[in-house]
Amino acid sequence: MAVEMVMPKLGMAMKEGMVSNWRKEAGDPVSKGEIVADINSEKIEMEIEAPADGIILEIVVPAGQGVPPGTVICRIGSPDEQVIGAAAAAPEAKAHIAEAAVAAVAEPAPSPSPALRKKGESKISPVARKMAEAAGIDIESIAGTGPQGRITKEDVERAIAKLSAAPSPAVESGPVTPPAAGGEQVEQTPVTGIRKVIATRMLDSMRSSAQLTLTLKADVTGLVALQKPVSETAQKQYDVKLTITDFIARAVVLSLMQHRQMNSAYIDERIHTFGYVHLGMAVALDNGLVVPVIRHAEKLSLLELARGLKSLAQRARSGQLGSEEMQGSTFTVTNLGAYGIEHFTPILNPPEAGILGVGAVQDTPVFIGEEVQRRSLLPLSLTFDHRVLDGAPAAGFLRTVKQLLEDPYRLLL
Amino acid sequence: MSRIAIIGGGPAGYVAAITAARQGREVTLIERKALGGTCLNEGCMPTKSLLESADLLDKVRRAGRLGIRLPSGQAEIDWNGAQEYKSGIIKQLVQGIGYLMKKNKIKVVSGTASFETAHRLLVEQGGKSSSLEADRFIIAAGSEPVPLPFAPFDGEWVIHSGQAMSLPSVPASLLIVGGGVIGCEFASIYSRLGTKVTIVEMADQLLPGEDPDIAAVLHEELERAGARIYTSTALKQLDPAARKARFENREGSHELTADYALVSIGRKPRTEGLGLERIGIEFSRQGIHVNEHMQTNVPHIYACGDIIGGIQLAHVAFHEGTVAALHACGQEAAVKYRAVPRCIYTSPEIAGVGMTEKQARQAYGDIRIGEFPFAANGKALILGEPAGKVKVLVEPRYHEIVGLSIVGPRATELIGQGTIMLHAEMTADLMEHLISAHPTLSEAVHEALLGAIGHAVHA
Repeated sequence: MAVEMVMPKLGMAMKEGMVSNWRKEAGDPVSKGEIVADINSEKIEMEIEAPADGIILEIVVPAGQGVPPGTVICRIGSPDEQVIGAAAAAPEAKAHIAEAAVAAVAEPAPSPSPALRKKGESKISPVARKMAEAAGIDIESIAGTGPQGRITKEDVERAIAKLSAAPSPAVESGPVTPPAAGGEQVEQTPVTGIRKVIATRMLDSMRSSAQLTLTLKADVTGLVALQKPVSETAQKQYDVKLTITDFIARAVVLSLMQHRQMNSAYIDERIHTFGYVHLGMAVALDNGLVVPVIRHAEKLSLLELARGLKSLAQRARSGQLGSEEMQGSTFTVTNLGAYGIEHFTPILNPPEAGILGVGAVQDTPVFIGEEVQRRSLLPLSLTFDHRVLDGAPAAGFLRTVKQLLEDPYRLLL
Repeated sequence: MSRIAIIGGGPAGYVAAITAARQGREVTLIERKALGGTCLNEGCMPTKSLLESADLLDKVRRAGRLGIRLPSGQAEIDWNGAQEYKSGIIKQLVQGIGYLMKKNKIKVVSGTASFETAHRLLVEQGGKSSSLEADRFIIAAGSEPVPLPFAPFDGEWVIHSGQAMSLPSVPASLLIVGGGVIGCEFASIYSRLGTKVTIVEMADQLLPGEDPDIAAVLHEELERAGARIYTSTALKQLDPAARKARFENREGSHELTADYALVSIGRKPRTEGLGLERIGIEFSRQGIHVNEHMQTNVPHIYACGDIIGGIQLAHVAFHEGTVAALHACGQEAAVKYRAVPRCIYTSPEIAGVGMTEKQARQAYGDIRIGEFPFAANGKALILGEPAGKVKVLVEPRYHEIVGLSIVGPRATELIGQGTIMLHAEMTADLMEHLISAHPTLSEAVHEALLGAIGHAVHA
């Protein structure tokens, strides 16, 4: 029996993945555990391994083409094996690639359709088909969640609900025409891979949640003074540097444990509130952004947290993170302080209900009683989902973060 | 590689173990008695073996009608032989699971497990104890019979289903308290072996939950086999010393003596002794609380099978065990209960999938119903089992098939067709030109479908 390799589902929100590179071709022998392809999805580049020994009978999804998780991307079997059931599909798939290639020559900006599906090829259950037809929904536009992407009754019900919830676009905006004849001055880049994932997710976040941002400044004069000697000691004794970011992460974790509502996610009309903190830390890469996750941060001391963050960030930059290390976060921290940014409006990382943006510390004259003093102020920007919690509890959370940072000894305990 | 520990080697537990092992995890399974759990050792399998004996005896006794003459006259039950046959089947199946455990490199530990901490189990066996640590846990500790509050099981007279299948001899009389699935199956076994069976049921019909017209067929057939059935009747007292029961209904108070009183009023999750309180796992009398991934409120601990309540069926436990194991191994998996077949191995058999008529009317209002009696099916007549019918429920808008109930010969096998229809979300019009083999019992399913869309041929 041939073994089918499918596009893995790497997270709750993953809608599409893409093979960025096939390391093997049809006919190549592979052994179990050998890397067969690189997958690009969900802010992640990852390698996938052959699930069994054999030869690659067929590559179903060519590199560069986005498909929903669960889609068969290649088949592995013994050399004398026929590709049962796939025999008919294969030439079509090839024809499709050829088409795409032709299209690519004709058009400077190729955008191969997101899925292999052609008209009439969608797998759909009989009742789902009738329901979609009755509701006037294009079957091709529905994402299937059944076996191998089959569209089920539930999927159509969801699509209908979405349709009735969204205001009908009264005026279809015409095709966007690029600014007049730019010629060679305009560079066009197809949106693929990690860029596409970020684009989809960020737009989805803005569209599907009610987010707003609160800002304040924390007086971190004491923290800045404390950080240096503590870091030096930590470096000497435990070989870990403690940065301001580590202290902030610790303050966030402690505050989340006090303000559980902030540590929530909005999934399918239900608010999931977590009793643990999986802390996501946004890390900028050359070609995009990843959010590695520290699991059970509430169980970690400042030192352990710092060590974990360093190791994750390092591996993120060298592209060595496993998919497990990039999912399941319950709250995210993002830091633009290094660029001199003060306040900003971070975008939620769905389905999370909160993200804290950290800005650059500035020395500022501040009234302390009647006296003006030089104080170090840290701008904090908290974006939260108003569907999950209201302004007052969100502000309460942010105030606790501020209080902890202003009384930094509590972060050491 | 993460380690997974599973408590309980029944249908939920052993399937979870195999699934996790195939995902490359290091799996330990802890079982306090025998692999296979209630299903294999004192539930589904042994009762089906006894039913087969009773069924064959019944057939042989009716063989004369088909022109078979038995040389020695009357056929009779050899109870020891039936028990041996049953034990042989169980032994073979339990060994089969043992083999699967070995093949998948699953470590099987015998003993009773309880949580010491959220990451450590204490395993006790014969006075000795050891501890076991793992990264993820799956609780599949199953369920046990619920006793009557005023008459606990004594194993002598007040017995539960586990004891009722291994009685020393065929009893002359048997009182069955509770006319649900288990009670009716035992009634079907013993009434055909010559036992004088009496069923006392609180609800106004046997098999509460199934449609009344379906349960009525069984009611009639059980009475034909000699059983007395009291519905809308409350048991008031069981007196083990006098082997006497007292129950009441609208007609008044009744007294009855019987060799045994089988109490089959339900099964409860076996949540005691697992140390759930110690590590803060949420549960209630209905069982451990889980989400659709089978995760408890402690995310690295899962629960599945009878211990989470819900539908207490082995094939549901298989499904839940698979989902729990896959999710514990980091895969996306969630349970779906849409097309779960319900099988009742009585004589005649009863099976259903999807909604009952009552549920469908509530959900869709004016539904279409197609019925076909086995009395009009040639194969059922040849088998000499014309009692019963097929009933199919079709919702009015898209004509989706939303429920199928069958009472009659081979109902538990025929229901597979309905399970496929519901699983694939089929609509009735698709089945119009289906070709059903002739002569088969399956034709009755097709005819009922045609009836629902107004085109039945043989009715």
